[in-house]
Amino acid sequence: MVTDPGNRVIEPYVETDNSAETRKAVSDGILNIHTVTSNRFWQFAALFGIMFVLGLIGFVMRLSSGFDDKGAWGYYVALFAFLMTTSSAAPMVAIAPRIANSHWRRPISRAAEIWTLAGCLNLLIYIPLIWLLPSLENGRRSLWFYPDNNAQNMESCWVFCWGGGVPAYSPHIWATLAILGLIVLGFALLWLSILPDLAVLRDHGAGWQKKWGRKLALGWRGTSAQWNWQYHRMGVVGAFYFMMLVFVHFFISVEFLMVHVPGWIDSLYPITHAHNALQGGVATVMLTMFFLRKFGGYKDYIGLDQFWGLGKLLLALSLLWFWFWFSSFMVLWYGKKPSEQAVLELLVKGPYLYLFITIFLLVFILPWFTMIWNPVRRSVWGPPILAVSILVGTLLDRIRLYVGAWDVAEKSEMMHSMMHMEMEEVPGSIPSLGIADGFVIVGFISGSVLIFMLATRLIPAINIWERKEMLLYKAEVQFHRTKVMVMGKPR
Amino acid sequence: MAKRSVLGLYTEEDSAADALDNLREAGFEEDECEILTGVPYPEGTFGEAEPEHHLYRWPLIGAACGFTIALLITAGTELAYPLVTGGKPILSIPAMAIIMYEGSMLGAIIFTIIGIIFESRLPRIFMGAYSEKITEGHIGVTVTTDETRTDAAETALVKAGIDGEIIRGWE
Repeated sequence: MVTDPGNRVIEPYVETDNSAETRKAVSDGILNIHTVTSNRFWQFAALFGIMFVLGLIGFVMRLSSGFDDKGAWGYYVALFAFLMTTSSAAPMVAIAPRIANSHWRRPISRAAEIWTLAGCLNLLIYIPLIWLLPSLENGRRSLWFYPDNNAQNMESCWVFCWGGGVPAYSPHIWATLAILGLIVLGFALLWLSILPDLAVLRDHGAGWQKKWGRKLALGWRGTSAQWNWQYHRMGVVGAFYFMMLVFVHFFISVEFLMVHVPGWIDSLYPITHAHNALQGGVATVMLTMFFLRKFGGYKDYIGLDQFWGLGKLLLALSLLWFWFWFSSFMVLWYGKKPSEQAVLELLVKGPYLYLFITIFLLVFILPWFTMIWNPVRRSVWGPPILAVSILVGTLLDRIRLYVGAWDVAEKSEMMHSMMHMEMEEVPGSIPSLGIADGFVIVGFISGSVLIFMLATRLIPAINIWERKEMLLYKAEVQFHRTKVMVMGKPR
Repeated sequence: MAKRSVLGLYTEEDSAADALDNLREAGFEEDECEILTGVPYPEGTFGEAEPEHHLYRWPLIGAACGFTIALLITAGTELAYPLVTGGKPILSIPAMAIIMYEGSMLGAIIFTIIGIIFESRLPRIFMGAYSEKITEGHIGVTVTTDETRTDAAETALVKAGIDGEIIRGWE
């Protein structure tokens, strides 16, 4: 740097940290944290493990009760919807900012991606729902084509008669394929992202981590072609994940929720459900960040930038929650059709009124009136507290909607006349939470956390290669009489 | 003739780029040289040839296949069971769109996954010339060539100022 007698910089300069030593220091720093497993980790893992076992007991209890009493499955379906709303949506925090080339997401993208592994558990929970979901044979409302009389045009029958008729299980087939597609995409995304870090473990890890790193890195060497392949594939798989996530929520909200409530016709609700997933996913990652920083040893890696960046997103999504809810509410409220009034009576004004008020406060009012203030939004404690509020509110919201819907679905006579529901048919109380339901809710949420925790023993919770990549694009430059940080974009 | 690979390690990007220039001057082809890094450098940082990829082919072909199958399923079923609903045409696109969308998505996903596995060229059984220093932060330049030309490759790599010794490996 050259200065004049007045101590002013007269020649511009650029300083970067990108050297072989710094890159090594980044790897070593993260590996040093990653390879140590504290006693506290195992204590929490044991706690979540015990609760997961309780969840499995509840799962067996629920299965043994059979599928005839559909109302009894409300809490179970609510749990499934909640996990799809949170853990399955969490990877979006890695996908969207990566596509937008945001740098602040680098320390947290891996944590978001690891949540894709919880998809295994969601699939396990989903399997019984295939048997629970009524077929189309009883004439229920559906998006799907199903002729009651199966009248066939014999000229076109050569391939489309499906052994004598149109399958009555279209919703089951297509929803299952969509959920499987989402899970496969999640695994592919995670694998693509961790390949270079597995190579780091293979080369510099120790013990079982080195052994598994060698097996799973599959001979990754880091050639230009491999990096190019990985970059582009992550983009494509990430985009597909987003498209599939919205589609899966479309299925869940229609097939497992709306069709069971006579009179609930709302074209906006499926995307509301998908929006709720984005909000829940951001809240999940926010809380994950907090715990990784507080208890995982990553205080130097996850800082204010990450909480601030994600906090702004959380505030925006919380404001959108109201927009989506109100847009649907005003159509039903102004419409005044008896069937639509009955839907409001069931889900808002009737037995779920206090639950709805609580949800409204937790998911919208509280985040709105706190996150607008800079001291809360620009802190490492504010956004995580609001994330807890949103997650609790989302769980209650799923309970309100799914328990209410399956309570109605349980009344078998309604299944045959689902286009009509009189006001007096609206249930007067909330079905009570059984032991099996309690076990399942607590156990499977704990199971998801346990899967995440165990995965972080093999997979570094902070993305090593993305942290090192950051060094390429960060430089401090002279700007008139001060220094500013300039962040570049890769391509 | 058996192929051998040699690897030179560098701490500076410019040295690795010089090594590539030296190799080109020594008559080595682009497909004989590779840059190994622990970080995804922007394409062309070392003056290397831009890697070719067939990124859009796999998903597009998959989506086209899935769309076609879904179109056949929906249209075929509707024609086989011709029911007029609400006065709408037998072949109504809005009703068919859901399955056509999912068919396209599933086809694209399946082909993308196949493409990922196929294009990754993984697993790589023999690592060839490789050093653990690459994942630490060093930049490697490898040359995979006939046994008779490895000396020339080593000379070109050393000339650019390698860090440590030349590493040799089998392909």
